[in-house]
Amino acid sequence: MPADAETDTGDVVSSSSGGPGGDGPPVADRDSVDDDGYVIGSGRSGIVRRIDHDDFDPVGTLVLIAIYMAIVGVMWVFMYFVEFLGGDLTVIG
Amino acid sequence: MEIHKYEKVWLAGALLLIVGLIATVSYGAVGAGIEMVGDEGGQVDPASLDEHPKFGEPGTYQTGEDEYDVYVIAQQFSFEPGTSEPIRVPADSTVTLHVTSADVIHGFEVVGTNANTMAVPGQVATITIEVDEPGEYGLLCNEYCGSAHHAMEGSLEVVPQSEWNESMVVN
Amino acid sequence: MATFVDRFPEEAKVVQASFAVAFIALGIGALFGVVQALHRTDFLRIIDSVDYYTLLTAHGVLLALVFTIFFLVGLFTWAVARSFDRPLPDIRLTWAWFGLMTTGATLAAVAILAGLFPEIPMSADVLYTFYAPLQAHPIFYIGLAMFIIGTWMAGADWFLAYREWRGENPDDRIPLQAFMVLTTMIMWFVSTIGVAVSVVFFLIPWSLGLIETVNPLLTRTLFWYFGHPVVYFWLMPAYLLWYTVLPKLAGGRLFSDPLARVVFVLFVLLSTPVGIHHQYLDPGIAEGFKFIAMTNTMFLLLPSLLTAFTVVASVEHGARQRGGEGYLRWLGALPWRDPAFTGMALAGLMFAAGGFSGMINAGMNINYLIHNTLWVPGHFHMTVGTAVALTMMAGTYWLLPQLTGKTVYSRPIGLLQVVLWFVGMVFMSNAMHRGGLLGIPRRTAEPQYQNFDFATAVGSVGEIQAQIALGGVLLFLSVVIFLFNVAATWAQDRVDTPVDDRIPEPLSSSSGAPLVLDNLALWTAIAVVLVVLAYTLPLASIVTDGGLLGNSPAFPVSISVQPVVDAALSTLESAAPGVPIDVHSTDAAVDRLTEVIR
Repeated sequence: MPADAETDTGDVVSSSSGGPGGDGPPVADRDSVDDDGYVIGSGRSGIVRRIDHDDFDPVGTLVLIAIYMAIVGVMWVFMYFVEFLGGDLTVIG
Repeated sequence: MEIHKYEKVWLAGALLLIVGLIATVSYGAVGAGIEMVGDEGGQVDPASLDEHPKFGEPGTYQTGEDEYDVYVIAQQFSFEPGTSEPIRVPADSTVTLHVTSADVIHGFEVVGTNANTMAVPGQVATITIEVDEPGEYGLLCNEYCGSAHHAMEGSLEVVPQSEWNESMVVN
Repeated sequence: MATFVDRFPEEAKVVQASFAVAFIALGIGALFGVVQALHRTDFLRIIDSVDYYTLLTAHGVLLALVFTIFFLVGLFTWAVARSFDRPLPDIRLTWAWFGLMTTGATLAAVAILAGLFPEIPMSADVLYTFYAPLQAHPIFYIGLAMFIIGTWMAGADWFLAYREWRGENPDDRIPLQAFMVLTTMIMWFVSTIGVAVSVVFFLIPWSLGLIETVNPLLTRTLFWYFGHPVVYFWLMPAYLLWYTVLPKLAGGRLFSDPLARVVFVLFVLLSTPVGIHHQYLDPGIAEGFKFIAMTNTMFLLLPSLLTAFTVVASVEHGARQRGGEGYLRWLGALPWRDPAFTGMALAGLMFAAGGFSGMINAGMNINYLIHNTLWVPGHFHMTVGTAVALTMMAGTYWLLPQLTGKTVYSRPIGLLQVVLWFVGMVFMSNAMHRGGLLGIPRRTAEPQYQNFDFATAVGSVGEIQAQIALGGVLLFLSVVIFLFNVAATWAQDRVDTPVDDRIPEPLSSSSGAPLVLDNLALWTAIAVVLVVLAYTLPLASIVTDGGLLGNSPAFPVSISVQPVVDAALSTLESAAPGVPIDVHSTDAAVDRLTEVIR
C-alpha cells in the first residue's frame, strides 16, 4: 500500500453528514443539493465504507466482461459464418 | 508491475479473442478460399481507356468453358456496362470482374452480396465470383463520387444457360 | 482550495475558448446531421440532393475534426496545467495555436458552406476524406493544413511545459494525465505526417494548378495513414476522462495507474501501422500488406479491452464504497443521477457495442460484407459519435464549473440530455448496422434506387429508415438541450466552490509502474520503426506502379452540375432506344433529372 494513498483516506465522507471531509473543499453548496443528495461530481460524498487496494477484488467487473466476451464470441461466429460466408457471390479470386 | 489476478485472466481472454479473430479470417482465406482485391489487376491510364484492348470495348469476354471476364468502367455517374444495359453473365459460371474508373474514385457493389470493391482511377480491381442461379442483382456505387452520386446504379443479370447467346459476349 | 479558474486564470480562458469553438461546431454539425437523417430517409426534404453532400462534408468536418479536436486541445490544456500544477510556459504561444487552429477551421468551413450558394465560385463537397481526384477549392486544403499545424504547435506547447516541469522535478513520475497527453501527442505527430504530406505536397499545389495530376491511390493511402490514428486522437480524450475522472465520479479510485500507462504506450506503438485496414478493397495494394494491417489492428484491440477491465473495475470500486453488493447488484449503487457519471458510463457501454462492429470492420475478408455500407457510419456513430462525443458532453458538466467558477445550470436537464443521446443513438446506429447488412450504401442522398430494392429478412427498409430518422431527431434534441445548459451555465454568477474537483489517488499507484514506461523517446522510436516497416513497401509499390504524381487530372466539385445533367441525359437515352420495357423508367429518369438539377 503506497503511502500517498493513505493521505487520500481523508476525503471519504459519510453520506449522512453531507459535508466536507479532510483536506478537501466542501462537497457542495448546500442550496444546490437536491432531495437525493446528488450534485455533479459528488459521487464520493455517498461513500459509506472505505475499500483499499488489498481489500478489493473486482468480481463484478469480471462477471460483466465475461458476459461481454460471450456476446462478442457468439455475434462474431454468427456474423462471419452466417451473414458473411452464407452470403451470395463471395469473392474467391 | 503488479497486476490483479482477475485482470490477468481477462488479459489471457483478450489475447485469445484476438487470436481467434485472426484465425477466423485466416480460415476464410485458406479454408473457404476468399481472396482480397489485390495488386494483380495492374494499372491503366484512365484518360485513354478507349485505347485499352479490353476497356476500350467493355463487357463480357469468354475466356474458357464456363469462365468469363467482365470489364467494367465506372465513371460519373454510370457503370459501363451496368447502367444503360445490365452486366450479363451466364448461370453456373466463374466470372472475373475487372473494374476501373475513368475519372474519380467510385465503389462497385453488387447489392446484398459479398461482391464489393473500390474503383480507383489508374488501378484495375479484379474479383472472381461464382454465379449459380439465374436472376438479377442490383449494382450501385458506394463511394461518394460527385453531386449525382446517388444516381449511379445499374444491374447485373445472371442469364439462364438456355438463353445465353453470342451477342452477350464481346469476343 | 480554489478550483482551476482561480489557480490558472489564463489557461482557463484558453480552455473556455476552445470549448466554445467546439460547441459551436457541435451545434452546426448536429443541425446538418438531422437534416441529412431526415433527407436520406425521405421524411423531410428541405434541401436538394446535390446539397446533401455539402451538408455531409460540413457534418463530417465540423463534428469529427473541429468539435472533437477543439475539445481535445481544451481538455489537454486543462490536464497539463492541472497535473503539472504549473501554468503553461508562455500563454502567447497558447493563444497563437488557438488562433491558427480557429482560422484554419473557419477557412475550411467557409469553403465547404460556400457550396450552398451557387453564386459563390467556391466548393468543397469532397467529404471529410477528400479523396482525390475530386477536387475542392484550395482554401479548403489550406484551412485544413493550418488547423493541423495549429495542433502541432499545441503539442509543442505541452511538451515545453513538460520540459519545464521535468527541470524542477528530475526524479518524479510524469503525472498520469500529463503522461496521457504527451503519449497521445507523440502518436499525433507521427500520424499527421501522412495527411500533411498529402495536403501540402500534392493537394494544395494541385488545387492551385501548380501540378497537373495526382496519384489517387497515393493520396488516399496517405490519408488513411492519418485516418485511423485520428480515430484514437478522438478517443484518447475520452480515455483520459474515463481513467482519471470517471472513477472519481463513481465514488471510487482508479484501479491501476501502471496499466493505464501501458495502454497509452500501446496506442503510441500500434495506432498508425494499421491504416491500410480502411483499404481492404482497394486495388493496387497486395493482399499481404492488408493481412499485416489486420494483424496490427486486431492487436490494437488489446489496449481497449484492458481499458474495459480497468475502468469498469474502478467504477465497481466506487459502487462498493457506496455500499454496493453482489455480482451485478452493485451497479445500482452508482450515482446515476449525476449526468457527468451517467453520460460517461453510457458512452462506455455504447463503446463496447461499437467495439464489436469494429471487429467486423477490422476482419479483412468479412469487410466485403459491409465495406462502404451504412454499417460503417453505424459503427462510428457509436464510437466517435457516442463513446467520444457523449463522454465529452458529460465531462463538460464536471469541467465547465472548474473553468468558469460557475455551477452547472441544471443537473436534471443534463441527465435528460445524456440519456436522450444514448437512446437516440441506440435507434439510429442499430438501424444503420442492419441497413448496411442489406447493402444500403453510406454517403448517399437518396433512399431508393431505380433498378432494385433492398431485401430484408427481418423487419423492413421503411422501419429501418424510420428508426434512423427518429434517432437523428432525438440526437439533435439532445445537442440543443446540451447547448442550452452550457450557455445557461456560462451566464450564471460565480460561486466559491462550483464543483468537487478533487481526483483521488489510484488504488495501485504509479510507483508500481516500471520506469521504462515513462521513456517517451524509446516509445517514439519504436513507433516510428513500426510505421516504417508497415508502410515502406506499400507506398513504394504504389509510387512505382502509378508514379509520384500519377495521371489523374482534377475533377473540381464546383463545376460538377454539368456531369449531373450528362448522367441524367444518358439515363434518358439508355431508356429510350432500349427494349420496349417500360415507360416508367423514362419517367423516373426525367424525375431524377429534374430533382438532381433543381
